Amino acid sequence: MSGFTISRRTMLAGSAMLLASTAMPTSGWAQTPKKGGRLVLAADSEPRNLNPAIVASNGVFFISSKIVETLAEASFDGKDGLVPRLALSWEGAADGLSVTFKLRDGVKWHDGKPFTSADVAFSALQIWKPLQNLGRTVFKDLASVDTPDDLTAVFKFAKPTPFQLIRNALPALSSVVPKHIYEVGKIEDNPANNAPIGTGPFKFGEYKAGQYYRLAKNTDYWSKDEPYLDEIIYQVLPDRTSAASALEAEEIQLAAFSAVPLADLDRISKVPGLKVISKGYEGLTYQLVVEINHRRKELADVKVRQAIAHAIDKDFVVKTVFLGYAATATGPVPKNDPQFYTADVPTYAFDVAKANALLDEAGYKKGADGNRFSLKLLPAPYFNETKQFGDYLRQALAAIGIDAQLVNNDSAAHIKAVYTDHAFDLAVGPPVFRGDPAISTTILVQSGIPDGVPFSNQGGYKNDALDALIAKASETLDTTARTDLYKEFQKEVATDLPLINVAEWSFISVARDTVGNIANNPRWAVSNWADTYLAG
Amino acid sequence: MSPLRRFLRTPEAFAGAILLAALIAMALSASLLFPGDPQAIAGPAMLPPFQDWSLPLGTDRLGRNVLAELFHGARTSLAVGLTAAAAALVVGAVVGTLAGFAGGIVDEVLMRITDAFQTVPSFLLALAFVSVVGPSLGIVVIAIALGTWTGPARVARAEVLSIRERDYVAGARVIGMHPLAIAFREVLPNALPPVLAMSSVIVAAAILTEAALSFLGLGDPNRVTWGGMIAEGRTVLRTAPFLSIVPGIALVLTVLGVYLAGEGIVETTAVRRGLS
Repeated sequence: MSGFTISRRTMLAGSAMLLASTAMPTSGWAQTPKKGGRLVLAADSEPRNLNPAIVASNGVFFISSKIVETLAEASFDGKDGLVPRLALSWEGAADGLSVTFKLRDGVKWHDGKPFTSADVAFSALQIWKPLQNLGRTVFKDLASVDTPDDLTAVFKFAKPTPFQLIRNALPALSSVVPKHIYEVGKIEDNPANNAPIGTGPFKFGEYKAGQYYRLAKNTDYWSKDEPYLDEIIYQVLPDRTSAASALEAEEIQLAAFSAVPLADLDRISKVPGLKVISKGYEGLTYQLVVEINHRRKELADVKVRQAIAHAIDKDFVVKTVFLGYAATATGPVPKNDPQFYTADVPTYAFDVAKANALLDEAGYKKGADGNRFSLKLLPAPYFNETKQFGDYLRQALAAIGIDAQLVNNDSAAHIKAVYTDHAFDLAVGPPVFRGDPAISTTILVQSGIPDGVPFSNQGGYKNDALDALIAKASETLDTTARTDLYKEFQKEVATDLPLINVAEWSFISVARDTVGNIANNPRWAVSNWADTYLAG
Repeated sequence: MSPLRRFLRTPEAFAGAILLAALIAMALSASLLFPGDPQAIAGPAMLPPFQDWSLPLGTDRLGRNVLAELFHGARTSLAVGLTAAAAALVVGAVVGTLAGFAGGIVDEVLMRITDAFQTVPSFLLALAFVSVVGPSLGIVVIAIALGTWTGPARVARAEVLSIRERDYVAGARVIGMHPLAIAFREVLPNALPPVLAMSSVIVAAAILTEAALSFLGLGDPNRVTWGGMIAEGRTVLRTAPFLSIVPGIALVLTVLGVYLAGEGIVETTAVRRGLS
């Protein structure tokens, strides 16, 4: 028996030594990138369609941005916040009717065919404009794409289109797919949608449902020494609590998009060998928004909406729901946007007495049970934080005599209930700000949007002044004038409150110390990772 | 010896009775001890237990009083468990009596329906029902009853099959009683004891099913439920394990209490039957 104890102790000591050696801090951060290695990371969803030209969403980009490239990528220090990818330069005509792209030479598709301006023209006209969720609005006036030579593409617009908008749309909306693959058959049914072919640093390897996606190094990539990694494996871990343990067990080296719950970050930041990184998502700001159904007569009254805004303690939400990993919001453009944000808007301080007074003024007196009226509240189920904010909002509304009944739905049922059936009074939604209000923000308050368009104004809100402002901004070519119009837009939204912006948040990555060049651009998690490497 | 004293003399029944009494006391006193909404924010978020005596079991991620939630959760658990079990027993007893007493084609039809329900796992049935109709307390009760009435139905039928051949049933027929009156006045009351003996298992299963539904986010979101508390605590399991452990222990003790008390009742009645 004693022999066993001793041997077990020595074994434990031995493994402790081993642990210590792996936990030894790798000296210095600015190492020269090392070639080779396999990066294993957590994936929490399994998109079926991996074509980023059709489905421009972060879930798809997370995987396919390594395979299919865009014309330009976001950058911290590039001109206008961009760096060239497939396009080397872009220039807008003064009349707003054309944009000229000079393309990169010597780029090959993963199947060996050369990349030319014909691919860009095909992607823009056949996919971005008619099929892409976001391209439909941004490229709606695109009439044709001229290709004077293989390396020049000239976008021609039927109506003047602001160059600033096209520029801001490049990182997310301009994924180029090969014409020779997509020109046969129906684009939506093309097999390359599930096994994409692109020009990126990684080729699509394989996908095992419920298990993993494997991407392999593109040895023929246009940037000579890149990529550094041999392989990227997306390990499917749908359970958010398992990502943290997988990181600690060294089964994965990276968990992006807050796969590790916020509540666990404090603990995990103390684990040797792991680092918590909150940078690299500046271009992917999510907004916590209370969507309002203006068909309800109480909510059609601006005083009631102001009262609700006053009832929400934004600081509490940031501190408790987001544990500090968020910022309070003032309006429809997030504070971290360098081009459009203005702080010069009406704000609604947390003030329960004022909220009660506003409701009394609006004529909704408290009944015998302390309630003024009842509402149906639908928190979006996509994030833990949206659900928790729903719980909080119910309490905040109770404090001003509004009885909110929570209705929980799964994703599909929630989208149907809010955006098609309008079966809600208040909803909690997480829209995304994509670098320009015209891409996916104005649609949240604009009128005349058909039923069933998700993440749009489905609350029956109509404000002619605001509609006119949005229309004017969409055809204003001068960058300064356009920016000013969007500042006015923010003011108008914050005044009339078609929806209530509560907070803005982004994601957190947790990685092992060995993963290099993390978070080096504002859309890092959905960029191409050509320069990502594994040290040691 | 009175049945009650005999009941309390078996140690497991005694323990069960105490646990059950505590649970009922919690459920009844919830509104007195913790008036107002148990989901109201009462203090700083994620306060560990035994730090602040006004919040003895600490607070959850939004700062809600865990003890208040626990008391109000007892109410939900008990309400759902009892009503679902009652519904299942009533439906089961009626269906079983009709099938057993009528025989023939009625028996065939009713029993094949029972078979159909029995082939689907009861939790799956509840899950499907709630996700289609939408979660609220009444729907959860129906969903649970939907999967549990088959057991009582089969037991009732088997019992009725033997009772209907007894002399007093033949006597009732001879004096011209309506068959339905015979079935429900004469046969059913005598077939009930073995059916009722199943009640403890059904109540315990109903409480667990309700907790599981809430854990999966299919409970009534406007009510505190233990399952919902465990689900919420799960995301912070590593940093604040008490948020899952506290309602988990409550759930275990409740189910154990219901089960032990039920066993005790069965044993007491069995002894009485054996003596008589």
